[in-house]
Amino acid sequence: MRVTTHNAFQTSIANLQKRQQAMVESQAQLTSGKRVLRPSDDPAAAAAAERALAASSRAEVQLRALDASRNAMTLTEAALGDAGELLAQIRERMIAAGNASYSDSDRASLAQAMQALRDDLLAVANRNDGAGRFLFGGQGSDRPPLVDAPGGVVYAGTSGEMRAASGESSPLAIDGRAVWLQAPDPRNPGSTLSLFDTLDRVVGELMTPGRSGPDIAATVRDGLAEIDAGAANLSGWRARAGEALNRIDGIAERLAQGKLDAQRERSEAEDLDMVAAIADFQQRQSGYDAALKTYSMVQRLSLFDYLR
Amino acid sequence: MSSSPLMSLGIKAMQANYASLQVTGHNIANANVAGYSRQQAELATSQGQFTGAGFFGRGVNVVSVTRSHDAFLTREADYARSLAATDSAKLQMLRRLESIFKGGEQGLGHAANEFLGAMTDLTTRPDDLAVRRVVMARAGDLAARFAEAGRSLDDVQAGVTATLRTAVAEVNSLAKAIASANQRIAGLKGLGQPANDLLDERERLISRLSQHVSVSRVEAADGTQAIFIAGGQRLVLGAEAAQLQMLQDPADPTRSAVGLVEGNVRRPLDENSLAGGDIAGLLRFQNKDLVQGRNLVGQLAAAVAGAVNEQQQRGLNLQPPLGQAVSQPLFAVGAPQALPYVANARDASGNPVGSVQLTVTDAGALQASDYELREDPANAGQWTLLRKADGLLRNVADGDEVDGFRISFGNPPPQAGDRFLLQPVARAANDMRRLLDDPRDLAAASPLVATADAGNTGTAQVSSLAITSSPLPVAGATARVSFTSDSGDYDWELVDSANNVLASGSGQWQPGQTIPAPPQDINGFALQLSGVPRSGDLLTVAPTPPAAMASNNGNAVALLALRDSPIVAGRTASESWGLAMADVGVRVQSAASASDISTAVASQAEFSRTSKSGVNLDEEAARLIHFQQSYQAAAKMLQVAQSLFDTLLDAAAP
Repeated sequence: MRVTTHNAFQTSIANLQKRQQAMVESQAQLTSGKRVLRPSDDPAAAAAAERALAASSRAEVQLRALDASRNAMTLTEAALGDAGELLAQIRERMIAAGNASYSDSDRASLAQAMQALRDDLLAVANRNDGAGRFLFGGQGSDRPPLVDAPGGVVYAGTSGEMRAASGESSPLAIDGRAVWLQAPDPRNPGSTLSLFDTLDRVVGELMTPGRSGPDIAATVRDGLAEIDAGAANLSGWRARAGEALNRIDGIAERLAQGKLDAQRERSEAEDLDMVAAIADFQQRQSGYDAALKTYSMVQRLSLFDYLR
Repeated sequence: MSSSPLMSLGIKAMQANYASLQVTGHNIANANVAGYSRQQAELATSQGQFTGAGFFGRGVNVVSVTRSHDAFLTREADYARSLAATDSAKLQMLRRLESIFKGGEQGLGHAANEFLGAMTDLTTRPDDLAVRRVVMARAGDLAARFAEAGRSLDDVQAGVTATLRTAVAEVNSLAKAIASANQRIAGLKGLGQPANDLLDERERLISRLSQHVSVSRVEAADGTQAIFIAGGQRLVLGAEAAQLQMLQDPADPTRSAVGLVEGNVRRPLDENSLAGGDIAGLLRFQNKDLVQGRNLVGQLAAAVAGAVNEQQQRGLNLQPPLGQAVSQPLFAVGAPQALPYVANARDASGNPVGSVQLTVTDAGALQASDYELREDPANAGQWTLLRKADGLLRNVADGDEVDGFRISFGNPPPQAGDRFLLQPVARAANDMRRLLDDPRDLAAASPLVATADAGNTGTAQVSSLAITSSPLPVAGATARVSFTSDSGDYDWELVDSANNVLASGSGQWQPGQTIPAPPQDINGFALQLSGVPRSGDLLTVAPTPPAAMASNNGNAVALLALRDSPIVAGRTASESWGLAMADVGVRVQSAASASDISTAVASQAEFSRTSKSGVNLDEEAARLIHFQQSYQAAAKMLQVAQSLFDTLLDAAAP
């Protein structure tokens, strides 16, 4: 078969270009470190990388949400700890007030001290997270959720729990009504006690002069029982906050692991196996080298060279 | 016996070899001219002269100069070349399209994820204006990215149109040149000798024409070639050339079509009948791949915008007075359109008589496809809807809802024989924009809050509260759900602010199910429980108190949940983008391998053609020596004849 000069030339040029292109592609992969530069390089891997990217960015924002929840729960736990100490102090004063040798004025000064501690307790119940959200605001509250009202302290927040968007249940604010105003009544199952109502009542009664010994003893006895119930409720909630913190750490660990997994998945889908890529590049390089050499050798051959 | 026959023999031989050398020189000179056919001088022995001693040869004559040419191989090569041009034109455009379907951080899927992910911070700080500004900025980015993708798709379309226009102009000038070559060939036919270089010239023109459009040819007795395209449409006949013209697609004015003009008639050419050439490749890309690309981007834009708008409108924004201002949609996308075909019935001023309107009713059900609405040819008055992406054919009537959109006939309705091209999502991305500017307009709060009563004895807690309608069926009403058994039976009542019972009913809760279980509705909400309720437990779903509206994050949680919800025809936004990328990637891959194959076939066919008619310089070099030697031998004959004559003269000399 006749090989025509022009066609042979064109074909070799086209082949050289093809080899050069393959080498450039291989080089682009090596310099970018990516095997999949365009969807058509591997459509299935491109889609898998897209899924993995979505998973890793999801884990990233969930970790951010979780940080907010961790911050809120740390503050809540500390607030409940402070509240427990305040209650212990109130309890001491109340036991002292039961001393039969105390006069009305002794009891009144103890009651005043208790009143100051009670106000501190209310301030703890209205603590915020430093950025304006109330720790005990429940599902949302724009102002301090526990408010002094004519009939006693009422809850101005929204009952329930606000949750962070971490993919798993992690609270941002807990239900102030349940913490402060609805301790289970040990003497009367099914009904609840308000810690502040108890304090207000005890302080009021201790302030009242001229009451009989048995009345005062009853005030102290009932007050102690109710405060202990309230304290038990608070420490129950404190345990829940601590438990939430533990869970948050677990979730954070899982999310961080999930993010790593997603990044590895993405990398597996679209990143280059350097060793294979370098071998591939070298193979293409020597292929191109051979093509150039043979081209120059074959093109040099001509009958005209022998006609001298 | 005179010496003149010898002289004349030598002269003839010299002439013949000189002619051969001349032709060889011509071959060498044209060795690098594409489409040149190798020529050779045809030599014939002169008839001998009779003498008593027999026939004496009278040497050689040059009869003709012919070219090495094989009509079959030439056609094969042209046809293969036009198929390769189809594939490579399509591949080139697909590569441009592919650059719009980027993955990773530059992709549209990631932009949608970033925007929805920014809602996380809104759930943590619903009343923080800085956070709201970030969400707004992400929303703006997302809309801009979609609009940019839409513009890039328009650019690809503009590229198709411009390339088509160049191709059409070249086809027209080639057709004229072929007609003129035909005329000259016919004029030279009378000479009785083949006009080799002119024939090559015509082959070359036809071969260039094949790049643009696949041709079939018929040779006439006068040597002219008639050229037909698109299954028998006449492009060149003798010295007459018809013209191609750029037209608009009969339904979609943004798309181009190509027509053949003959006299006053313009005949649109169907992309499938064109068989080959870059025009066919461009039209196929435009009408299939680009349409699909547009619809994939549009579907994602329409679905994401639709889902976000719906959820946004269910929530409460931060505009004072809190809880009063109705939340507005966050995004606008390009409207769905119903385009009448040019052949539809028209009134005196040329406007179509009948019309159709489309309304998106469920953005999450929209499909990435164009549709064709036409009257059923077998049943007058009955309309059929063809989903072009997969060929699904359905009967539809005025007001029907199909694939997330409603078809409404206008007044007057579509006329008999009318056809409409329906594009529910094709332009959605192009006109996508953020509608709201004030960060307070973001609806982060839920209009309802659910609480479990403190005295409940069961473990049931509210796990989530979803709002299912906007606005709520009864504004300001509180729903109370009280459990009447330990197995989930409950009574519910809906009361207004003065505690008047507005409605009541009962139901049964099953683990994993919502309260109320669909399709039952209490007041536009669906409650998910965790834990188990006991008899006597009470749940309340009340309007969000004004004091909690700024800090409630219920709707922000729901907006964030869209990131992981199947909002795009049953898939999440990022899944849907991954699939769109894979779809385009597969198209590019198969176009690339088709192009590789057809290019290889074309180059093989060209090799076969040139091995028959091309020039090999070594061969010509050999011929050069060969004819040179023959020429030298012929010259020697003259010398011999000369010396014979001299001998004669010497002998006769005194």
